[in-house]
Amino acid sequence: MKLVTAVIKPFKLDDVRSALESFGVHGMTVSEASGYGRQKGHTEVYRGAEYTVDLVPKVRLEVLLDDADVDDVVEVIVKTSQTGRIGDGKVWVAPIDTVVRVRTGERGIDAL
Amino acid sequence: MEAAGSAPGTEVLGADPAALTRRYRQARDAVIDAPDLAAAQRRSALTDLTDRWVRDLFGAAATPGIAVVAVGGYGRRELVPGSDLDILLVHDGSRPDDAVAAVADGLFYPLWDSKVPLDHSVRSLDEAARVAGDDYKVALGLLDARHVAGDPIVSRAIAERVTADWRRRAPKRLPELREAVRARAERSGELAYLIEPDLVESYGGLRDTIVLRAVTASWVADRPHSAAIEESRGWLLTVRDALHRTTRRRSDRLLLQEQDEVADLLGLLDADALLRRVSEAGRAIAHASDVTWRSVDRALTARSRRPRLRRKPTRRPLAEGVVEHEREVVFAREADIADDAGLAMRASAAAAQAGLPLAVSTLERLVAETPDLPVPWPASVREDFVRLLGAGADSVGVWEDLEAAGMVVRWLPDWERIRHRPQRTPVHRHTVDRHSIEAVAEAAALTRRVDRPDLLLVAALLHDIGKGWPGDHSSTGAVIAQTLAARMGFDDDDVETLSELVRFHLLLPTVATSRDLDDPATVAMVADLVGTTDRLDLLAALTEADARAAGPTAWTPWRASLVRDLVTRVRGHLAGHRPQGERPSTVEPWARTLAASGAFDVMVSAPDLDHVAKVTVVAPDRVGLLAAVAGVLTLHRLEVRGASVDTVSDSAVQVWRTVSQYGAPPDDHVLRQDLRRALDGSLDVAAKLRRRAGDQRRPATRTAPPRVSLVPEASQTATVLQVRAHDEPGLLHTIASVVASAGVQVRSALVDTLGADVVDVFYLTDSQQRPLPDDVAEALRDQVSEAIGSRA
Repeated sequence: MKLVTAVIKPFKLDDVRSALESFGVHGMTVSEASGYGRQKGHTEVYRGAEYTVDLVPKVRLEVLLDDADVDDVVEVIVKTSQTGRIGDGKVWVAPIDTVVRVRTGERGIDAL
Repeated sequence: MEAAGSAPGTEVLGADPAALTRRYRQARDAVIDAPDLAAAQRRSALTDLTDRWVRDLFGAAATPGIAVVAVGGYGRRELVPGSDLDILLVHDGSRPDDAVAAVADGLFYPLWDSKVPLDHSVRSLDEAARVAGDDYKVALGLLDARHVAGDPIVSRAIAERVTADWRRRAPKRLPELREAVRARAERSGELAYLIEPDLVESYGGLRDTIVLRAVTASWVADRPHSAAIEESRGWLLTVRDALHRTTRRRSDRLLLQEQDEVADLLGLLDADALLRRVSEAGRAIAHASDVTWRSVDRALTARSRRPRLRRKPTRRPLAEGVVEHEREVVFAREADIADDAGLAMRASAAAAQAGLPLAVSTLERLVAETPDLPVPWPASVREDFVRLLGAGADSVGVWEDLEAAGMVVRWLPDWERIRHRPQRTPVHRHTVDRHSIEAVAEAAALTRRVDRPDLLLVAALLHDIGKGWPGDHSSTGAVIAQTLAARMGFDDDDVETLSELVRFHLLLPTVATSRDLDDPATVAMVADLVGTTDRLDLLAALTEADARAAGPTAWTPWRASLVRDLVTRVRGHLAGHRPQGERPSTVEPWARTLAASGAFDVMVSAPDLDHVAKVTVVAPDRVGLLAAVAGVLTLHRLEVRGASVDTVSDSAVQVWRTVSQYGAPPDDHVLRQDLRRALDGSLDVAAKLRRRAGDQRRPATRTAPPRVSLVPEASQTATVLQVRAHDEPGLLHTIASVVASAGVQVRSALVDTLGADVVDVFYLTDSQQRPLPDDVAEALRDQVSEAIGSRA
């Protein structure tokens, strides 16, 4: 089993969610996050108004998956949340030892 | 009594305790599960069963000098399925200790083993009285003491003693109790306005009815409207009973997930109907509680005052026809209650601004005797309405009193549909009406960010007004807000702005979290909908006030930063085509002629229907003129509602809209004379004002800090200084004095009082009629800011 974590732009959440739903992923955890990556925050000039952005608001999305689905799901997330501009985010995958469904006590794949 | 006389420790019970307990448990379960039993019957059936069980267990051990007393809820015969059994074994001290211990063991072990939640104690009469004296919680429980078994003389003795002690010590205990009530309200919120209230602990809940009884028992204050309280209390007990039966737990918090089932058990349509009735009960109890505590305060202050220090209660004037009396707001003796349509609003505004409650009798007369407001409202009423809304947290209490008395619905008929209206979303913690007034209180702190504080406050009040109707509440609300704003007498532009603010109050957070802010189309779309930077500022402040009032999850730093980002981008977009330029002069021809001749004159017009008297000053312009005029007007207790200052040739033409604080405005010649003396230095205006400020108590309201800023590029020919602050007597004089002492000329100025806030704009030049250098302008800005700040 794997944990797929994606940090993406907030406005992309709805798109990613519906893409994952149609792929067959029905559960996920979403949280509000903020941070910065390589761009270290940035100064923007917009119509003469200059302002700096230190921590950029993002959405963090976590999905638990069977190993077989991981590559496809990562691809779906990356494709849907891409705008091609700085700050599109990251997706990473980590191995998971075990998963337990709290209500029933089921373990492993059954608990997904 | 076969055991009587046998050795201590060998007394035996008349029947097998285990069998008695089994019988009790079965009977208890049957009562709890009986579907057709009304809640009141269940309470009394549970109490009867429990009494019998305790009596049977105690039975054979009965000895003179010992009694079993039920206290707390059990004492009041109000057992619900999850109640504790609160039992006190009390003895008169005539029996040896080990005999009492044996009786206690015989009673409490079976009770304990039965696993029914038990709160027990064993005390002598003296001990019980002492503990009640040390701990008001114990005293409160004992005030409801009821004899269950044993020696009735002992039970009566403890009840009488605790009540007598309570009365004697009331002056000391009641303030302590009040503090505890306050702390609990802070912790558990107010029953009437919570979406998930605690039936016992929330303010206006069951705990407060017990506290009220205790206050009444102290004889310090009367028990108000006892029938309504009893009814509300009965209903809350009924809901509590249904809640315990639904959850099978002891928690008294009415959670969203259980509300439907509880409503169903009570035969109500749905959770909304349930919550609405719980709200009403909570409001009735909270109101009674407020009133009672106020009269306790008065009674205790009167008692503690020593006779030689006793002064005649002072009546401090707050507004025309409105005075403060004993920390409450009442009508002045000369107030014309039946004919003065603006009096109700004026009194309410004065109360909110002074941070004081309206006296109960005043509130009653307000509802019963004041005439209906004319539609549209006169300007003075609208301004008072904004002052009522602009007092921050102090607005909420006054508003709730007016609302409970039915005054708000008279002013705003559409309010009826959102009264007590629950909203079932995880974001909100309050009912719609309370959320609206909380949003107003939050908005009061943001008034410095906008040009029109009055529109911000009214928009905050009305933003969810559409929630009483089906359909999207923003668009429905926009229509209702339009009607209400017109009723309040706002002009067409303001009516439209208010309506649009309501329509778009969710626009910023929705777009910020669901659209690409880097996409210029997103920013352009919002800019198109919003239209101007003024409206954008209003909408941004409204969004923040709404979210802060909703609950802690609605305005996280994450959300705030997204909205802020959007606002910054939209502002940048709008700045591209902001209309700029000088404001047009509005000087009337006759004043222009007078000014051109270099005359010095002061004219006062008779007050119009709104009590506004126009004061026109024409005088040769000089540094310090504005400060002198502002000071003289304040000395004559004229409140400045607005002013425009223009320069014609070398003369200044100032037109002031003023309202006299009491009585008719002064004559022209008095003002003229004082102004001359102020200008030639024989009248020290500043010193007189300082002395008066020393006499007056500071207003109790906490207001947003003032904001002083330079508006770059607003004018080619002058430096523009903008001041946004809470209105206070002499404020304008302070600002103008700082400007004058810097040797700066005021070419023109626009002063506007919007409810409790002022927005002043000054066009400043140096002696050569040029804009000030940047460093001078910035230094002046800081000096003005400091001068206003040090007043507060």
